[in-house]
Amino acid sequence: MLMLGLVAVGTLAANGAARLRFAALAFFGVALAAQLIAGPATSVWQATLSATAALVCAAILFIAARDGRYGEEPGWRLWVATIVAAGTTAAAFAFLRTTSGEDVHLTPLGEDPSGLIRQAAAFWLLSSGVAILLTARGAVRGSLGALLMLTGTQILVLLVPGPQLALALMLAWLQVVVALAGAFLILNERALRET
Amino acid sequence: MTAPIVLLGVGALVAFAIRKRVMIAGPFTVAALLAAVVFVASLDVGTTTDFLGLQFRLSPLAQLAAAVLLLSILALVLVVWIDEPAYNFFPTALAAGAAVLAILTLVSPIAIYGALILALLVPVGSFTFQVHRNRSYEAAFRHFSFVVLGGCLGLSALALSGSLPRDQPPATFVLLLAIIVVAFALKLAAIPFHTHAALLAMEVPATALALYFGVLVPATFIAFAEILTLSGLLPAIIQIAKVQDLLLALGALSALGGAFLATGSTELRRVVAYSVIANLGQALIGIATLSGAGIVGAIAITLVTGAGATQQLLAAGALERRSGPDQPSATAAPLAALAFVIGGFAMIGAPPLVAFPGHFFVELIAFSYSGALGTALVLSTLGILIAQLRAAIAIFRVAPDHWRVESRPVAGVVGTLLFLALLLGGMQPDGFLRPIAAFADEFIRALRPL
Repeated sequence: MLMLGLVAVGTLAANGAARLRFAALAFFGVALAAQLIAGPATSVWQATLSATAALVCAAILFIAARDGRYGEEPGWRLWVATIVAAGTTAAAFAFLRTTSGEDVHLTPLGEDPSGLIRQAAAFWLLSSGVAILLTARGAVRGSLGALLMLTGTQILVLLVPGPQLALALMLAWLQVVVALAGAFLILNERALRET
Repeated sequence: MTAPIVLLGVGALVAFAIRKRVMIAGPFTVAALLAAVVFVASLDVGTTTDFLGLQFRLSPLAQLAAAVLLLSILALVLVVWIDEPAYNFFPTALAAGAAVLAILTLVSPIAIYGALILALLVPVGSFTFQVHRNRSYEAAFRHFSFVVLGGCLGLSALALSGSLPRDQPPATFVLLLAIIVVAFALKLAAIPFHTHAALLAMEVPATALALYFGVLVPATFIAFAEILTLSGLLPAIIQIAKVQDLLLALGALSALGGAFLATGSTELRRVVAYSVIANLGQALIGIATLSGAGIVGAIAITLVTGAGATQQLLAAGALERRSGPDQPSATAAPLAALAFVIGGFAMIGAPPLVAFPGHFFVELIAFSYSGALGTALVLSTLGILIAQLRAAIAIFRVAPDHWRVESRPVAGVVGTLLFLALLLGGMQPDGFLRPIAAFADEFIRALRPL
């Protein structure tokens, strides 16, 4: 539960950040909290891999900003994205939550055997990412939305039985490629703005 | 089986390091692609291998599609190396080749989806071009947004469908399947999700556009068919007719809308882009019929359309470069103009090219499904025919005083070779259709598991 709160607060901080470097740091916080939500369900290698990918992505965005002031003022987009994300999360949870009927035990810290907290965090990140991406004016918020969506997707993929380490490796690469493509677009956007 | 993927992946890193030395990076990229094609062609069908628990398998369709798509990338690299130096393209081509090969050989639906998103994101770097003078940044950003949006939603829906217990209410599966279908429609630029493709068609370099429409869009379609087969979701589609209706509606809308937009286009690139969208609409209908003939036709249309799009977009790029600010004309590059026109035969599925059986199968099965659907496909083909004829007339509106082949006629030569390959395929369709039929067999078995 505590990690779910951290994910929510971190997402709001990233969404509200007017400077790219703050958004990059907030994204790193969100990605770490999302890893911790999975808890003992993931191996040490998997967690290290995902945390490293998140760090690399945050570093790529941090460097792409080139100075501490560069970014995109969210303005009304912050509120629209937050309201849409909250509504969509609730709807997704109502429609897609498992109906296996098992007893659900929630604790502030500790395991999440029913997967309820992980699903809630994933839906929240996906909804926030979609809302940020759809309301973005340019690559700064577009890249942030893309990375948040991918973090939510990562949590859901962890719930699927299968070769988890290979999938974690693939998603880590995917995250880095999204960050690189985003950074490339941010640099181009800046070149356009400054001429 | 992973060796050619690793070869292309490592090759992409090396090409990135040496990309500014075009005369070294060009031949290096060609050599790496040729080595990968030879490697894949020399492997026995059915070869499997494991990497960290992920299984790779070389199916007959994977071998055929890998050869077609990697050779298309090779044609693009040759044009970039010899005629249109763009140093970003070499690492992009190799990375896209590695991702396409992974899509074709992976067996896990989630891994296929991940490789597909990687493949579609790689060209973003080669889309942006002279950002102060055109809207290529905006086109690249829109493509990035569409791919990430469709990619993450589709991957999440796939992961959820794999993790939820099977005793879910039907509405849950309808929703998940609808999300997966719409996510693919976003990535395939199916109408009404085509706005990013329309902008790309106008603003990005012709070779990057050919990489997208000629290689990555067909790879996306094959990935869609593979994911449906491997995910175990097909029986749910049969039980819930709504998803099949959604696929049919998207296919019909794309087939008719793409053809309509193509007839109204005056630019060569748009004619090609909308013709591809119309043909993919026809292919979607083929898949949606859930029949053997429909699936064979759909995959055949997709592969041939990719080859035709590569041929036409390369020719359109050569014509634009040589005509300068004027309208593209055959007087500036007669061989490229000829390549564009004969590429149109592949787009309309004219016999005796290998493009014909795919269109024939899908139209036949569409008529047996419903008269309206079959008529829609015939109208779509007629629309593409009119668009291609208009484009050909526009290119040849001024007769050259004397026919002289342009200097460095790479696009023209590549186009002519592709046409000859399609002609040879048409004379021996068995070699082309048999691997696709093997996949259709797997699809039908997955549809009705014992």
